[in-house]
Amino acid sequence: MSMSDKNERQMRAVTDKHTRALRSGFARWPGRDAPPPAMGDLRWPADLILATWAQAGTGAPPVGSDAHTHGLSQGGFDRLGFKWLPDGEGLGSATEIDLAIPLNRRPYDPRIEIPVPWYGAGMSYGSVSEQVMLARAMAAKKWGTFTSTGEGGYPDSLFEYKDHVITQVATGMFGVREVTLKAGRIIEFKYAQGAKPGLGGHLLGDKATVSVAKMRQSVPWVSLFSPFPFHSVYSVEDHRKHVDWVKTINPDALISIKVSTPTDVDMVAVGSYYAGAHILHIDGSYGGTGAAPEIAKKNIAMPIEYAIPKVHRYLLSEGIRDEITVMASGGIRTAHDIAKAIALGADGVILGTSELVAMGCTRCSNCERGRGCPFGLTTTDPELSLLIDPVWGAERVSNLYSAFAQELSTILRKLGLPKVGDLRGRTDLLTYLPHDAGVNHVDQR
Amino acid sequence: MSYKRYHIPVAPAPNSAPHPRRFNVNVSKLGLASLLIREIFHYRGDMSTVLSRPCMYGVFSGPVGGFAPRADNCVGCLRCTVQYPDMVRVEPNPDRLDLGDSYFTPDNVDTVLYEAATGRVPVKGAGYRGRYGGPGWDGMWTDMSEIVRPTRDGIHGREFISTQIDIGERPAWLSFDEEGGLDGNRWQVIRLPLPMLFDRLPDSLLSGGWEAALLDAAGSLETLAIIPWRALPEMSSAPPALVPLVAPADVDQLLEAAWRPRMVEIEGWDARAFDRLRTAWPECVVAVRMPFGDSIDGPLASGCRTFHFVADFHGRTSSGFVLESIRLVHDSLVVRGVREQTTLIGSGGLTAAEHVPKAIIAGLDAVALDTPLLIALQGRFRGECRTAGTCKVEMPNVDRAWAKQRLINLMGSWRDQMLEILGAMGIREVRRLRGEVGRAMLQADLEKEAFGEIEGYVHV
Repeated sequence: MSMSDKNERQMRAVTDKHTRALRSGFARWPGRDAPPPAMGDLRWPADLILATWAQAGTGAPPVGSDAHTHGLSQGGFDRLGFKWLPDGEGLGSATEIDLAIPLNRRPYDPRIEIPVPWYGAGMSYGSVSEQVMLARAMAAKKWGTFTSTGEGGYPDSLFEYKDHVITQVATGMFGVREVTLKAGRIIEFKYAQGAKPGLGGHLLGDKATVSVAKMRQSVPWVSLFSPFPFHSVYSVEDHRKHVDWVKTINPDALISIKVSTPTDVDMVAVGSYYAGAHILHIDGSYGGTGAAPEIAKKNIAMPIEYAIPKVHRYLLSEGIRDEITVMASGGIRTAHDIAKAIALGADGVILGTSELVAMGCTRCSNCERGRGCPFGLTTTDPELSLLIDPVWGAERVSNLYSAFAQELSTILRKLGLPKVGDLRGRTDLLTYLPHDAGVNHVDQR
Repeated sequence: MSYKRYHIPVAPAPNSAPHPRRFNVNVSKLGLASLLIREIFHYRGDMSTVLSRPCMYGVFSGPVGGFAPRADNCVGCLRCTVQYPDMVRVEPNPDRLDLGDSYFTPDNVDTVLYEAATGRVPVKGAGYRGRYGGPGWDGMWTDMSEIVRPTRDGIHGREFISTQIDIGERPAWLSFDEEGGLDGNRWQVIRLPLPMLFDRLPDSLLSGGWEAALLDAAGSLETLAIIPWRALPEMSSAPPALVPLVAPADVDQLLEAAWRPRMVEIEGWDARAFDRLRTAWPECVVAVRMPFGDSIDGPLASGCRTFHFVADFHGRTSSGFVLESIRLVHDSLVVRGVREQTTLIGSGGLTAAEHVPKAIIAGLDAVALDTPLLIALQGRFRGECRTAGTCKVEMPNVDRAWAKQRLINLMGSWRDQMLEILGAMGIREVRRLRGEVGRAMLQADLEKEAFGEIEGYVHV
């Protein structure tokens, strides 16, 4: 046996040992009396992380606790509740709930409908491992929805799932090639992202490994700061040219425009519509899975809860609301958040962090440190990334989708709505909770 | 005059005093021994696999591994406790609760220490972790632009964003006498390359040698340090960074000094002291330092155009929080038509990088920093640190060069973070940010607009 075979066998044995122990831990922790004392924060309390692990393990919403429905941030989704119909007046459990939404509301271009009102957010190769990208793509295929490449390129292994993979075109143009543009049924232009609005993508040097650098055609171990904004776009008209360029290469592609949430996000929405977007993706400031300056996360651009109704109402007043699909992201953690986002005016949502939590993320925020994520998620370290087996990861994400679908159907039944589309913009079905509702948490990290 | 691009020379300056670790790691020794024995049999003596540890940060890297965990290395990823729920327990270190005080939180302290040690912008993954909005600074978000950018090369590229400001009095117009000479209108400004000054230290630290470090760092940064006059050592000349803070009763004595500063600050409004200084030192910018909420009528009528308003270290003023107080005084000067001729410096409650651009948006020209300087130097508050008169701070024994570098690093990091905010907005210079509340989003307004129609909504 050669030395490299021996090393590989050794690495596999070590990985197997830790993978088994980790999976056992993911299953055991949700059932224990108390969560790990150092876990969680106000946005994602420990109980919510564990409830997400439970859903990813079972495929069903937890029973007997509402920990899986909200965080403890004292604002936004965490201050909104629902006005349920009185017991017995909702829809019965036999009623089928239609969760599908169209992604193209224009009278032309291909009809694409997804059976659940969400798809996966862009996470680049480099920010996450190829295994994680594959897991998400497999889950998207299973559910008939999508995931996005992010801006780090298009690994060859993803082509098998290309009908469920959105090709992202971001300011760094990493991985943007004719073949990847032709592969996507949806092309997503990333103008900005919620976690670092106005700053462009960040991949710190430690994570720009040889394989990542090769994919991005850059230099290994050198930090990659994508420019901001697109240097060719300074107006809606410039943006229209971008769309035309992509449509020339791939005439059948739907166009998604991903923007952040500035004070004029409503104007941006209208501009995106007139530039030819089928999907407007608004990304609020409290989400994000990748590296971001701490100052940007909290302080630049508004949270998604404020942006959704602003955009929805403006599109309505312009008479174009039903010609564009609005997808919201940036802090969507639960099925209840999904329902609240839709009630505020979105058509659907885009999930990022919750998928990573399903695969074991503890939200420790060490994604950018050294070799990357100790759970094998946000890393391309050859050893650590083996902790995620794509098939296992896909099962976890798929189970979370299943739990979300069941929970969302329950919410709609309790509101008496047979279709998720009926919930859009129904702020009359929401309640604003008192300021101290459910607040007894002290962030200790 | 040759062009010089402003640059802050950051360099590593690690903590010199012990700092409480973030986490404690407890391992059940019995459980670990039992696991090892089981694994030795399971893996048939393959010790490489048996001894492979669930930590990539070296917590279990000592000679006896988990039997003596190196908790200082723990970053709280929780992988060990996830893998072995019955054996490993990672807990927040309760000693950290003693860091800072009720306003300057332990997390805030950690951030400032990182900034002072590295001079870098803190970058982390996994999104925002904190409270949704909140009172004070947290109730404001800054705007950004999707397509506008001040430079095509990024904020650290060929072109750059100016953080230069002027401090002093700037007449709206110049007037001339019959012979063409300037007719009394003063253009008396000090040009600083960044809108951050160092404010006076708490009384308990005065004359403890820290003033020298402040002056060293301020000099290197080309900014100013406000030092109580009575705490100054004997000097034959004034360092360019020095702003002596003087009580009105001491002005006559100050004027006997052999040196002249570029700027002097009077503690509280006193018309006689102001006139004396302006007359005796005409090239000197004379500022008045007073609490937020004090009337500006008298100073304005007397020709004072440089104000340093002060809140307590927790940002409290007579009319509420410092953010609102800044807006009040800025708006008041705008209404009087003298805002462009006036300089507003503010202090108190500014404990994080984001507070600086927010304070400028609210209406300040510059901030004068207080408690973050103490934390950067690894000072430990003893009890609540609310005012310069009552705050007790335990400072470590450090050398002057280290202290200077720590302060330079802090300013380097905070300036870079301000550039992130300005860059995101597409603003090329910080002077344009002053009073630009249109580039801020306030929680009260956003909440009303988004949720106003929802049952149960209460406008705050």
